[in-house]
Amino acid sequence: MHKNLIFIISIALLTTSSCRFFDSNRNMSREEFDIPDELLDEKPLEIASEVIDEMIQNVSSPVETAALIKGLNIPFNRDYIAPTQLDKNLNTSFQKAIGLGIYGAGLGYINMYERTSLVINYITTIKTLADGIQVGQFFDFSTLNRIATNKENLDSLMLISQQSFNRIDNYLRETNRPQLSIVIVAGIWIEGLYISTRVAQDARNPRINEIIGEQKVTMNTLMLLLNNYKYDASVAALIKDMEELQELYRDVRITYEYGDPVSVEKDGVLTFQQNDTQTIHMSDETLEKIIEKVQSIRNGLLQV
Amino acid sequence: MKNIFFAFFITMALTLGFANVSKAQSEDDLVEICGMIAGDATFLKDFRIRLDAGDPPPIQRFSVILRKGIKYRFSVCNSKDYEGKVVLQLLDNNRLLATTYIVATGTDYPSIEYVCTRTGAYHLFFNFRDGKPGLAVGLLSLVETM
Repeated sequence: MHKNLIFIISIALLTTSSCRFFDSNRNMSREEFDIPDELLDEKPLEIASEVIDEMIQNVSSPVETAALIKGLNIPFNRDYIAPTQLDKNLNTSFQKAIGLGIYGAGLGYINMYERTSLVINYITTIKTLADGIQVGQFFDFSTLNRIATNKENLDSLMLISQQSFNRIDNYLRETNRPQLSIVIVAGIWIEGLYISTRVAQDARNPRINEIIGEQKVTMNTLMLLLNNYKYDASVAALIKDMEELQELYRDVRITYEYGDPVSVEKDGVLTFQQNDTQTIHMSDETLEKIIEKVQSIRNGLLQV
Repeated sequence: MKNIFFAFFITMALTLGFANVSKAQSEDDLVEICGMIAGDATFLKDFRIRLDAGDPPPIQRFSVILRKGIKYRFSVCNSKDYEGKVVLQLLDNNRLLATTYIVATGTDYPSIEYVCTRTGAYHLFFNFRDGKPGLAVGLLSLVETM
């Protein structure tokens, strides 16, 4: 992990320092050194796709957020998720990709609560957005539609939804549109956090506050991913907003105590119980500011 | 003579037919099989492992975020077309937290469960026992919240 972090930070520093050098001394550099034109492009140094893969895996799934919320016995609330008619506000590739992420996270929430009546509208919206960035073919619309209509196996609904998103992610990166893949991931993360903030306002449950606070861990990874594509003006604008949120998260402190895991075998199932503890130190004021900022970013993206 | 051709034709058809039936397992097939092993847990991610033979056994590594308050299930599934039996290890920096193969007893578990109490990045190491070549799939699924 440390090696990876050092590698990622080195790449980020290299990218920043090399861009500054060429920006400020472009003419001199051209004259004094024989530098190929392609190295003078505005594009940043690319992070290896394996590293990107690994970093994407480090932005957690919306299904887990939905499961944690449901696990707190908090009832389903349709107002927490984006209304499907808002997709009409999403016109550019960036907007469609962010929308895919936002509606994808909403679909995870709907699926977790087994609200099949809402699934069809949601998958229709997702399919439209996916078609808009030429990845609709990876969204198994007919199967999802059938499962939702007939209320068949809901685990399959979840599996196919997840797999469709995984295929879209792979295809975007294969077709040199990795920034859209990261934007989808950002949309999923923002909507997962948005839903958590709405729950926090209604439920006043300390665990949901903790769920919001611990997102500091994944936010840092997401910011590294986004910063790799800041040459894109839309991504740069999102980064600017997210940096304000990241600044608020600086006031969140997470401490850990480590314990040895214990394994127990029962009925042939081997279970490992982790014994680490985490404590989130976050003031009510910081929480309120985070909630406000998250909702402002998310509503801005959907142009609510 | 016609009978010989007929017999040859039937033999070829059967051979090709069976060859088709016992075609190599793809990674997608393995994900599906592994999904059955995972049972009623909610699918989260799959990890595809393909490694050559080696000494020491080569390792394929992934990282994943696990979240406090969730019981996860890790399931593994080997391709029947390769000798290798996959071993999954869950690590946090240098600590081994869970594994599908208990060396002391020589027991292999097709799935294990992990109750997470700390949100953060974890590492999954996959290798094939005795450094044999192999193709396998690992599945991460969500069992319940705690």
